[in-house]
Amino acid sequence: MKNGKQNQPHMTTEAKDDRKKTNQISINQSERRGSNKVWDFFCSVKLAVVIILVLVVACILGTVILQGRTLDEYTAKYGYTLATFFRITELNNVFYSYWFAFLLVLLCANLICCTIKRWRNTFMQTGFILTHLSLVLILVGGVVKFQLGVKGGVNVYEGKSVNYFLTQLINRQGKLDYVKKDLPFSIALDDFILEKNEPKFQLVSYIKNKDRQKILEVKVGQRQRVPGSGYKVTIKDYIPDAELKQEPVNTSDTPDNPAIFVKLLGSDKVTAEGWLLAHDRNYYEDKKQNLRVEYIWLSSQEELEKTVSSIETAHPKISVMISEQGLSQDYPMELNKTFKLEGTNYSIRMLQYVLNYGDRRPLAEQPTDNPSVQVEINGPDGSETRWVFEKFPDWDKMHPAKYKNLKITCSGIASGHMARNTIRLFQSPEGKQVMVSIKDNHITSAIPWELEKKYTIADLNHQIMVSNYFPSFDFKKEVIKKSDEVGMPAIFVEVEGPSGKVDDWLFSNQQYATWYTDNNLALVYESTGDSIKHFTSKLRIEENGQTVAEKTIRVNDPLTYKGYVIYQSSYDPEAGSFSGLQVVKDPGIPIVYAGFGALCFGVVFIFYIKPFLRKKSNKEVEE
Amino acid sequence: MSLINLTLIAYIVASVAYIAREVWMSVAIKWISLGVFILAFCFNLTWLIARSIKAGHPPFSNLYESLVFYACCTALVYIIFEFIYNFRVIGALASVLAMLILLYATLQDSSIRPIMPALKSNWMLAHVITYMLGYGAFGISFITSCIFLAVKPFAKNKKSNEVKKGNEISLINFDKLSYKLVAFGFPFLTLGIVTGAVWAKKAWGDYWSWDPKETWSLITWLAYLAYLHTPLIFPKMNISKSKSSVILAFWLLISFGIVNFTFIGLNYLPSAADSEHIYGSQ
Repeated sequence: MKNGKQNQPHMTTEAKDDRKKTNQISINQSERRGSNKVWDFFCSVKLAVVIILVLVVACILGTVILQGRTLDEYTAKYGYTLATFFRITELNNVFYSYWFAFLLVLLCANLICCTIKRWRNTFMQTGFILTHLSLVLILVGGVVKFQLGVKGGVNVYEGKSVNYFLTQLINRQGKLDYVKKDLPFSIALDDFILEKNEPKFQLVSYIKNKDRQKILEVKVGQRQRVPGSGYKVTIKDYIPDAELKQEPVNTSDTPDNPAIFVKLLGSDKVTAEGWLLAHDRNYYEDKKQNLRVEYIWLSSQEELEKTVSSIETAHPKISVMISEQGLSQDYPMELNKTFKLEGTNYSIRMLQYVLNYGDRRPLAEQPTDNPSVQVEINGPDGSETRWVFEKFPDWDKMHPAKYKNLKITCSGIASGHMARNTIRLFQSPEGKQVMVSIKDNHITSAIPWELEKKYTIADLNHQIMVSNYFPSFDFKKEVIKKSDEVGMPAIFVEVEGPSGKVDDWLFSNQQYATWYTDNNLALVYESTGDSIKHFTSKLRIEENGQTVAEKTIRVNDPLTYKGYVIYQSSYDPEAGSFSGLQVVKDPGIPIVYAGFGALCFGVVFIFYIKPFLRKKSNKEVEE
Repeated sequence: MSLINLTLIAYIVASVAYIAREVWMSVAIKWISLGVFILAFCFNLTWLIARSIKAGHPPFSNLYESLVFYACCTALVYIIFEFIYNFRVIGALASVLAMLILLYATLQDSSIRPIMPALKSNWMLAHVITYMLGYGAFGISFITSCIFLAVKPFAKNKKSNEVKKGNEISLINFDKLSYKLVAFGFPFLTLGIVTGAVWAKKAWGDYWSWDPKETWSLITWLAYLAYLHTPLIFPKMNISKSKSSVILAFWLLISFGIVNFTFIGLNYLPSAADSEHIYGSQ
């Protein structure tokens, strides 16, 4: 391999002369050894280069082919033939295979022979000798580790101790196996501490038409452009621990968003109260009492009078639309009846309905939060089953379906599913107010209602009162600072875009993104997630019932006792109750580290110190 | 404008200046081009310092930061070599290389995240710095090899007319320059592997566990080791000097490909899921 004077391929004339000399020397040496061909073979640089290249190929194979898996995994991934081939050629375990070991032994022999052949006691050769012998040391250290070393893991629970660990291996049958190894001492875990980082928050922007997500800086007062777009974002305020207070207010006397404040009273004590919004959440349900209160706003007095006398405002039904055929058809909700769609090859059948999708309770106990129907569609391409949601009519548009051309919606399920007792509070713009009580699908009374007046609900020992009416209901948002510590931070953001300036508070606990008015820019202010700062285990080593060593270990700082090194490697991710320790014993370490040291010094010598010394001596010669 | 964009622009300006220098060969442009390049390097370095102050940890905890650091190291190695040897065209390509690395960095997630416990080690500092200086040298040697291979076919007959202008190395001798760059980078690569192994021992209990990243760093090391040894066997194999220099130049191109695969390409390996330190899994 490299000779002290030969490591530069492009030589100055002086170096060339040197080389002639060294060649002569080596020729003399080999003559002395009786031109032994085997010796020459093991000394040659050619062999070294060949071994290096074969090692490169072996290493590449060792990462391209999965290593050290069970036989089943290989068969599943590569097929039986290839899996068997890998097993026979040991390509499933390249780095621990016999042929790889052979390569390394050959390399070692090559290194040693080469070093001996070119050994001359000159200072300039230090680097050459150190680098080549260091590799031998590292390889020998590796063999010691392989033969005498052990590596395994064990989980210890807080307050408990262990005197063994487990090593993992793939056995002859190609299955994963654990082997229990006894320790000559026991490890007690006195305490396990998991330290988390302070939560961090970031402002993420998303531009829909470019599908681009970028993190913006959170710096109050700084106006920044969202990268790759024309939007400008300015953070106007920041509160480290904010709380949103929403106060209901009435913004005008025109009934844009009518709402009433309803109180339910049981023996003069308020049992429930809240706002009912005509155009939003317009009912209250009490499953225990089997009571439902509805607030129904009607556009005129005439309509009110018409509606008051009928019990059902809406029949549960589903609507099917095929837009390209201009077809739209309503079907009453009747379970397990097949309806044929007129003029098409389709037929539909309603399988079941629920009041709150995903709720496992019986129908009667479910709140009407997310009513939905399961529909089976039969068409030219077979059958498709899908859920149709009353509150999310566009659900099927956004999700994969076989018959995407069929749009199905449903309505009236929530209101159609009546409680035993229903109170309906009707109101119209003219000021007409009627309260209708329904029991078991029969109207029991219909009386005008007034504000601040209590009405008794028959049979239920309860009273109902409407205490306030806002024709145009709105929330006045107020953000208040709870403390100076980072708790639930919020930022006040102003966005400038094609449709002008818009500002809003973004809370770090908000579940949904805040969209700019053009529905193209979304902003989310969120926590970057829990992250672990440190995890430490307070360990105690016991021998014959006596404590012989103690240390709090953490990642990068293990405990060493009697040749065993105990590392912090993992922890119980759920309860944090156990600590995962790695136990390693490697008597080859001193040899390997000596090799590392020699290698580092050797390469620095060859490529930095030697050229420097040579330059210096050349200069001296010139002078 | 953000500092990173400023750095990018400075690198672009530097490469234009280097091309201008090649056309007019004036001393003024020579100093201007070098000056702009150093300015770009300073911007790059300032960004790294600002980032580590802001993040509270060394600026190579994720792929984004590492790439910016990589660009900075490439620029540094170039500057060192420009001062030692009176370079020509390389500057243009070196700044383009630094710029490309930065550009690739800007495609990555740039958010500052807390570093995981295993990365909190002084060995990591030594490991990354030595590695990146090595990579930087290999990057420049890639450029010199490219230029060498491009110039080689046209320079066959002129060999005898080679004139050395002062300290300046003529293009046809770029194979020697490549060798010097590898000789500069190889010790750093070796130190990088060794410090990495010691760090792994401290953090994971084993200095070498044939993790894909480890294996590929060994492949990189072996590739350059082969480059350093093959010149010794060519004469014995009756391969002419001219042919061997071409083979070696090609070998450097491949080796630099291996460097970059080791650095950023490992996610494509089937064994990537097993790796303890592939970017992205952090």
